Amino acid sequence: MPLTIVMAFLWAPPAALLGDASRILYFHVPIAWVSFLAFVVSGILSILHLSGVKKQNGGLDEKAYHSAAIGFTFTIMTVITGSIWARISWGTFWNWDPRETSIVIILLIYIAYFSLQGALTDNEKRGRIGSTYLILAMVTLPFFVFLVPRLYPSLHPDPIINADKKIYLDDHMKLTLIVGILSFSILYCYLFDLMNRILVIRKKIEEYRETSN
Amino acid sequence: MVRDIIRNLRKDFRVEFRSRFALNVSIAFAVITTTALSLAAGGVPFSPRVQSMLLWLIIFFSAMNGLSHIFVREEDQGTSLFLRITASADSIFASKLIYNLAFMAIVLCVVTPLFMFFMQVTVRDAVYFAGSVAGGGLSIAASTTIMAAMVAKAGGKGSLFTIISFPVLLPVLWLSILSTASSIESAGHADYGTLIFLLAFSGFITAISFLLFRYVWQD
Amino acid sequence: MDTDHYTLVARDISKSFGRNRLLRNINIALSTGESLAVTGPNGSGKSTLLMILAGLLKQGAGSVTHAASGEIHRDDWLAHIGYTGPLINAYDELTAVENIMFARHGAGACARMEALLERFRLAEHRDKKIKHYSSGMKQRLKIILSIINDPPVLILDEPGTNLDAEGKDLVRSYIDSVRSKKIIIIATNDPDEETLCTGGIRLG
Repeated sequence: MPLTIVMAFLWAPPAALLGDASRILYFHVPIAWVSFLAFVVSGILSILHLSGVKKQNGGLDEKAYHSAAIGFTFTIMTVITGSIWARISWGTFWNWDPRETSIVIILLIYIAYFSLQGALTDNEKRGRIGSTYLILAMVTLPFFVFLVPRLYPSLHPDPIINADKKIYLDDHMKLTLIVGILSFSILYCYLFDLMNRILVIRKKIEEYRETSN
Repeated sequence: MVRDIIRNLRKDFRVEFRSRFALNVSIAFAVITTTALSLAAGGVPFSPRVQSMLLWLIIFFSAMNGLSHIFVREEDQGTSLFLRITASADSIFASKLIYNLAFMAIVLCVVTPLFMFFMQVTVRDAVYFAGSVAGGGLSIAASTTIMAAMVAKAGGKGSLFTIISFPVLLPVLWLSILSTASSIESAGHADYGTLIFLLAFSGFITAISFLLFRYVWQD
Repeated sequence: MDTDHYTLVARDISKSFGRNRLLRNINIALSTGESLAVTGPNGSGKSTLLMILAGLLKQGAGSVTHAASGEIHRDDWLAHIGYTGPLINAYDELTAVENIMFARHGAGACARMEALLERFRLAEHRDKKIKHYSSGMKQRLKIILSIINDPPVLILDEPGTNLDAEGKDLVRSYIDSVRSKKIIIIATNDPDEETLCTGGIRLG
């Protein structure tokens, strides 16, 4: 993490067109990557949970929930960093470009998922129904991928970067970005593991209380 | 299986049409919003885009008022366990889906003419218009049936149904609004790809719901 | 349905709700002709145990198997089980006949329905909506609903609730008349119903 910060601010040269503001790239892209990763992980965990794989120390549904919680936080951060960047480079905070649209949809799905979880009181039911909803929401995403680009043209620079790396990113920038993505992924794994461990400890405390009664 | 579905359907229609609560609420909602809009507009016709947006907003929210009722009722009246021991999960889902499709068809048949009458909509491409309304309605009913089951298990709490349905329905609403607008605006620009998309979406979501329903339904 | 020899085996059933461990290592083995009375104070887990045996609730640990000629898959249990309990409610908006027609499957149920309506003294109220029924009449109807398909396994949770003396007699005489052909499990605190059964377990 510190390495990313140092590299992002000091080492990588500013992008030709966008100036120093482009340094937000090194945070925006990794954060967006993590929110996507967390979403996929919780979807996969949900599928595993429903297909009946059992694991010790905390069900997969709870892990899926944790991953979604991290993903939700990162999605919000993506939106914030993204709209700051958009303000600087395109002049407005928000203009429904395809990526903005899809991140909003993911955000909506998360909100719906958490509302649903909040409404369910029974632990087992919560895991099952929450997982079902996540899967259902996930499988509709490909429809957006097909649909959204047909409706709105994109201003987002990422496709340009991907298609034509040499113009926008020199090696230093690329390296910084990769380090950023890696370090944010590690941060995600760390948080995820931490939340799972807290759950295990909490369960152990509960068990201990029960036996001591 | 087929006989089970018919048994379920006969029961659902009997129960629902003896009280007609859900249907009345949905249609009353549609009538009130349509007349309110028309009053507020003061007879000035909107542009096709706005017209189709309003039409779908009204359809969406009238549907949201009624579509969850089929499952929420079972939980409210405490009959869901009786239903569970009498019919298989698959036949229950199939019959509830058919019921919701019928419900949606009735809502559409009331809302759409009413809306056209009050909002001075002149449709240029009638076939395409009917197709997009029907296709959108089909997709809404197909994808919300399993959501209704989830909401019922969560205690049927008010607007939760709308909240969880919206992200999934967003592509449907989006496309329906666009295609309805273009059918109002001009003839001969029908993009039947949209209708195929809506059909594919409903088919796909129904298949997934079928697979997932047992996890929602069984304790 | 069939007169096959039918067995129900439960091994080491445990169930807990949150921190509260309700059932602990319960073992049951029954075959056709045997019956079991489950007794215990309120909140001891009688209903929970019965729901687990009927496949309506998942056990925390242990296993339940139903077998006729071969083992029956969990999804198909309900076709072989007649269950009724306090959480079962018939449809308020329908009449007794409509409710029964909904619950039955297979042919020959019409004649059975007439006989059962007569037997439980509901024949004259057959076309009344359930919402106009008294609670005792509802209980009679619930018992009819559980036995309309003549299931080889009968699981009754407090069958005597809300019934008057005549109603309880009717239920007892029905159970007595079919118990050699079925597995019957009753959760009850009524000593008369308890003595109908060939075995018993006490919870709590």
